[in-house]
Amino acid sequence: MIDTAAFAGAVAMLAGSLDAWVWVVPGLLIGLVFGALPGISVSMAMALVLPATLYMEFLPAIIFLTSVYTGAGFGGSIPAVLINIPGTSSAVATTFDGYPMARQGRHNEALGAALFASCIGVLISYLVLLLLVQPMAEVVLRIGPYEMAAIGIWGMVLLGSIGGASVAKGLFAAGLGILFGTVGMNTAGYMRGDMGIPWLLDGIPTIPAMVGLLAASQLFALVNAKFIVEAESERRISLRRILAGGAMVLRSPLTLLRGSAIGVFVGAVPGIGSSIANLLSYGEAKRSAADPSAFGKGDVRGVIAAESANSSSEGGSMATMLALGIPGGGATAILLAAFAMHNVIGGPRFMEQSRDVVYAIILSNFAQAAILVVVGTIFVYGASTIVRLPLRYLIPSVLVVSTMGAFAIEGSIAGPITLFVFAVLGWLLSRYGFPVAAVVVGLLLGRLIETEMLRAWQLAGGDPWYVLNYPWAVAIVALMLVSLALSVRRDIRRRRAVRDAASPG
Amino acid sequence: MERAQAPRQPAWAELAVVTALAAGVLAYLIEARGVSLDPQNLLLLQPTAWLVLGLWVVIAAGCLMRRADPAAPRESAGEVLRVLTMVAAFGLFIAGLERVGYDVAICVFMLAGLLIGGERHPAALLLFPPIFTLAVVHGFRLLIPYPFPTGLL
Repeated sequence: MIDTAAFAGAVAMLAGSLDAWVWVVPGLLIGLVFGALPGISVSMAMALVLPATLYMEFLPAIIFLTSVYTGAGFGGSIPAVLINIPGTSSAVATTFDGYPMARQGRHNEALGAALFASCIGVLISYLVLLLLVQPMAEVVLRIGPYEMAAIGIWGMVLLGSIGGASVAKGLFAAGLGILFGTVGMNTAGYMRGDMGIPWLLDGIPTIPAMVGLLAASQLFALVNAKFIVEAESERRISLRRILAGGAMVLRSPLTLLRGSAIGVFVGAVPGIGSSIANLLSYGEAKRSAADPSAFGKGDVRGVIAAESANSSSEGGSMATMLALGIPGGGATAILLAAFAMHNVIGGPRFMEQSRDVVYAIILSNFAQAAILVVVGTIFVYGASTIVRLPLRYLIPSVLVVSTMGAFAIEGSIAGPITLFVFAVLGWLLSRYGFPVAAVVVGLLLGRLIETEMLRAWQLAGGDPWYVLNYPWAVAIVALMLVSLALSVRRDIRRRRAVRDAASPG
Repeated sequence: MERAQAPRQPAWAELAVVTALAAGVLAYLIEARGVSLDPQNLLLLQPTAWLVLGLWVVIAAGCLMRRADPAAPRESAGEVLRVLTMVAAFGLFIAGLERVGYDVAICVFMLAGLLIGGERHPAALLLFPPIFTLAVVHGFRLLIPYPFPTGLL
């Protein structure tokens, strides 16, 4: 499994090159800052620093870019916890429990848990990459549209059926999200719901809509509050409590390992990536918990599940990129571009001929994860001061920065308009007990599910029973139906218990 | 009073919101069916729209049958008005971005946001909006590759 000669070569390469190390901390810091800015994605941060790598040697350049990748992977969780804005789409599920924890004055613990879950997630994913890079890549190649569609629907149902005040409201919100995700031109060329607006042909801009639904709507709801954390004594920033949050991660090894496994696998599938891994992991953690009702109200396991999955998807996507030369998403596409800038072609031949370099990249990522613990703790300590800011300053400031972030994505007014429309929608939905998160998940997954279903339909020539040739897809759908049935049963039981408790005698 | 015995109090506002959303979904379904009845157009869209419309019936019935909950927290009219003012100010800000320029719109919205939030200190109202605008406009000019219209800066 490990080529020991190449491994020794990688150790020697890293030990003998100062250049390979000096870029790690700057890369992590750049990633943390850009990841924490709403609207600036991981790939955008990497694209911004890509030209700077042109004059570096190949290995330091790749290590610098992967440091930005690692830093941004965690950076997105900071605004997710503190102000309910997922800095990147891979931090959506972090908001579900991270923000309620912050509002309860447990922002130190939430950020500590997110940081440690991220670092351990990165470590696990690169360990898997070190041991299983080749077999993983072969499994990934066998995943077709049936399996992809089933994974998308699975994530949808896990969240849609278990959030909100009732299953009906959860499914209503999830359905709305899916429909939003289908707006525009689909892969078969049909244009629907674009209302004659040219920019809607590409679909509803996802990030502005997501920030509007999750963050701006919450900010409206906070207009009458003074601070994010109401109790003054809870607004303290404490290193001890950040580290206590890290210790909580170690006390939830199952959630951590399950999240990391989902992250590695889903991250390795091209086109899915970390934005879905965190949702699937959160949904699974909630579904399998003895007390699922605690999720969404500030349960640290929700933060651990989301963060371990989104950070470990980095290792998964690196596996596909290194072994097959296929970028799983924007970030790995930038890495491949950096390969090309140095006249290196990723893929099986690179794996065979430069195995020592591959091992050096992997080993450097172990070190990056360890250094991120220190750099991230210092960064979190500074970023946490946000809870001390009065909301009368924070609300308009965050709305303005979110608007500029929404503009930054496409460079047009489309982003800010989408942000506003979805902010109002999110505020109305959350006011009446609909799980806004389910709309976000639907929006993220709707387009993917439709695209993969269309591919599957075309493959089968319109025969629905053709799906039986894909047992894994059938198994995922069966699991999904069982999950849905259990959720409905739990909802009915809960209502019955409430009615029995309320009736006299 | 026990909740089961409480008088009926339909949730009209919630019913209006959920009905408006369902109406939007129905309009979308009709428009999509007008484009084409090909399964490749309606494969996911149509069943999802029917599901949402079916759920509307369940949720609307729940809104009409709702009983009053004396324990539920209530917002004052002033609190609701303040939120609506912030929503309106944000809407005007977005509408004004391209018309008056990003810098002017940001500065005016910051001032409005501070006033809605309850800030009354003259120095804060005079200094914070322009300084914040300056930082945001210059910061984003450095960060993003697209130009954005400005009135003054």
